[in-house]
Amino acid sequence: MFKEISRSNAVHVMLVYTGGCNGCDIEVVNCVLSPYYDIEQYKVMLTWNPREADLLLVTGPVLKRIQPALKKIYEAIPDPKLVAAVGSCAINGNVYHNLGGDLGSSDEIAGPLDKVLPVAAKIPGCPPRPEDIISTAAVAIPILAEMEV
Amino acid sequence: MEKDRGAADVEIPVGLVHPALLEPYRPRFFLEDEVVKDCEITLDSPHRGIERIMEGIPVDKCNIITERICGICSCVHLWNSVRVVEEGLKIEVPERAQYMRVIINELERLTSHLIFFGHALEIIGHETLAMRAFIAREPFMIMLGELSGNRVHYACPVIGGIRPRCNPTDDLVQKCLKQLAPAAEYLKDYADRILQDSMIMSRVDGIGVLTKEEAIKYQAVGPTARASSVEKDYRTTIDDFKYFDWDVVVLDDGDVKARVVQRILECFEILKIVEQGFKNLPQGEVRNRDWKLGEMPVTTCYHEAPRGELYDSYGLDEKGKVRHYKNRTPTLTNLGAMEVACLGEHLTDAVLTLASCDPCICCTNR
Repeated sequence: MFKEISRSNAVHVMLVYTGGCNGCDIEVVNCVLSPYYDIEQYKVMLTWNPREADLLLVTGPVLKRIQPALKKIYEAIPDPKLVAAVGSCAINGNVYHNLGGDLGSSDEIAGPLDKVLPVAAKIPGCPPRPEDIISTAAVAIPILAEMEV
Repeated sequence: MEKDRGAADVEIPVGLVHPALLEPYRPRFFLEDEVVKDCEITLDSPHRGIERIMEGIPVDKCNIITERICGICSCVHLWNSVRVVEEGLKIEVPERAQYMRVIINELERLTSHLIFFGHALEIIGHETLAMRAFIAREPFMIMLGELSGNRVHYACPVIGGIRPRCNPTDDLVQKCLKQLAPAAEYLKDYADRILQDSMIMSRVDGIGVLTKEEAIKYQAVGPTARASSVEKDYRTTIDDFKYFDWDVVVLDDGDVKARVVQRILECFEILKIVEQGFKNLPQGEVRNRDWKLGEMPVTTCYHEAPRGELYDSYGLDEKGKVRHYKNRTPTLTNLGAMEVACLGEHLTDAVLTLASCDPCICCTNR
């Protein structure tokens, strides 16, 4: 009850980098944080504390070394929660998963993300444009607001 | 077996995923009271084995992967990887293509420096100026998006020239020149504001000093070295920069303030290069198609990334596939130098000192 009221006022997103090239992170931080695109005007706040978060944004192809940390972060987020895959790496592994020479593609990758966590939204692009990230937030947040605890 | 750390009695580990770091790496600070006596950085978590997946891949596909080494300095990785083939097989590049490579690369260096200001000021705690760094950055990102079609991975250099999409029309050049003036004005205003803010200057002045001897001993590169009076810039050795008139900025103090001021001054040198580039852009072809891939011995190229020296080397076999690919990025030695520079500082200043070399972990671990 209390959570429903508070969530109808503001949604907190947490960003986790799991490998990849950093381009998506900067686009997300640029979009959520910066005054130019300013997603905070829609009451979408960036947080670094998983216990406050409602929406987990994951970038990168989920490396084996970071997979345990990512699962811990996911478990620390209170229900209800949604996970969004940002960028081609999180959706299908991008060049690291799909290109490879004599030795095949990279062995360090445990992803793509839907092998590790249940994914609710996917934002394509390498990196996705800020407008796409904002429109995904516009789609995912009403779903999140109606989810029952 | 743990190392003997003298009088240090408290260990503060930071990370792996931590708000102050943004990227996963793990510094461990060993403190006596609140003063850092020893610092140890572990870098291994975002390793994705790029050098291994390159082995035996066609060289065009290799260039797609090199660009994805880093999302902040993607153009310079791709450019250096392309230069290896061009130097090994003696491929000529048209003059217009050289100009466009320099323009895209320098605009990217500018956005990279502006991310650094945002990050460093966030750690100092001056949120307003950190946000203004992102406002100042946005016009250049939009300009890069218009010039190349993508805001982060421009894919501008290809072997023998540039991708045709990055060849601007005359209207676009005039439009970019028009956009450049107000963006440069805002940047100048912003830089003045940082330099005149006594609160920021009191936080960065005299903190984390890296002397010239230490910078040479630990092989600091790029802006970190140039702030410690080591005059080293690979752009002076690169053929494409000969058309431009610019200076290497070298400062003597070697503290965090010098590293910030060095980057601010470098921003204006970059604006000078970009403006000259747009004004003097020659007409003509952008791609030389008169070449054939073949066997190439292992060739080495150096370039100046926004954070310092970048090294790429590989050879090609008779089918044009990549062999013995190696890539070394600047942050590794810079962070090693920062491990020394942060000794004797308070814990809060030590985190700032580490951030002042602008660490990029995704390049470093590849």
